[in-house]
Amino acid sequence: MSDQILPIVDIDLQLSGQAPEEIMAYALSKFKNIAISFSGAEDVVLIDMAHKISPGKVQIFSLDTGRLHPETYRFFEKVRDHYSVKIDIVFPDTMALNNLVREKGLFSFYKDDHKECCGIRKIGPLRSKLLTLDAWITGQRRDQSPGTRSAIPVIQDDMAFSRPQEKLVKFNPLANWTSQQVWAYIRQNNLPYNELHDKGFVSIGCEPCTRPTGPGQHEREGRWWWEEATAKECGLHEVNTKK
Amino acid sequence: MKITFVKKIQLDGNFCKKCKEVQDKINAADQNQFIDQVIIADERDPSSPGMVLAALYSADRAPFFIVEKEGRSPEVYTIYFKFVKEVLGQKITEEDQLKEILNDNPDLNFL
Repeated sequence: MSDQILPIVDIDLQLSGQAPEEIMAYALSKFKNIAISFSGAEDVVLIDMAHKISPGKVQIFSLDTGRLHPETYRFFEKVRDHYSVKIDIVFPDTMALNNLVREKGLFSFYKDDHKECCGIRKIGPLRSKLLTLDAWITGQRRDQSPGTRSAIPVIQDDMAFSRPQEKLVKFNPLANWTSQQVWAYIRQNNLPYNELHDKGFVSIGCEPCTRPTGPGQHEREGRWWWEEATAKECGLHEVNTKK
Repeated sequence: MKITFVKKIQLDGNFCKKCKEVQDKINAADQNQFIDQVIIADERDPSSPGMVLAALYSADRAPFFIVEKEGRSPEVYTIYFKFVKEVLGQKITEEDQLKEILNDNPDLNFL
């Protein structure tokens, strides 16, 4: 990590009024051991922004859960070729996955919920990757999850994935952008995009857990639609915790 | 080492669900002996000690633990199982850790 101690809350206040490109530039200037988490969807804009700032020098990683759409795998390759970048594809722990599938089958998420499967196929590999980094960049936006009260800051101290006694900084440059703004950027800059978007998919995840959404539906409705939407109310209200 | 456990009281006057769950786990594992103080973050009162600590340490979810060691900056843990593993040095399953991380960070669904 940078030897500078970052007053995260103050920097968030400062950066939250800036454009995603400026936030990206700040992140890349402050950290050498930093990587973009690329999901194979519209977060390709992060790669484009980073490429314009520092061509070919930014680490990129993607989580291959083993259940992605063929279109998403093709898109990884398209992005790799388009930007001439390496993408570090991260895989689930074989033993954990083998245990899950042997005990519960390949579609346990329809009977239980998606969390056990996501934990093994996505969160475990993500944690392994993040343990090697000082900072990471995601395409998370506030408008992706309207039901949760905790706002997504543009920079945060990632307490979930940090190494013991160390800090991990997480940047969300697109936090304040809407889906429309992201797509305007993609169109205006003629970026490659996942062909699933042309088939009605807004939010793209694993094949069994993602479906196209109709007009007026929120993108969240295209994911885990069989689960009841339950509020998670253990966040501390932002308005009360700001300095 | 000093360990502070911060629990949240919601606007309706009840402890948050996760705070109750974590307290139950602490009780079941006989871990109260390691906790030096319990502080309340009362959502009805932004100046309550726990709310002040949440702001001070940028803790955006409850409950959380503050671990102070001599000569070191305080460490904040918002993931109970991470706290148990790294601070108390106790064994926990990978599955429990991953589930808790996902439960507490629904935004990770969109990675």
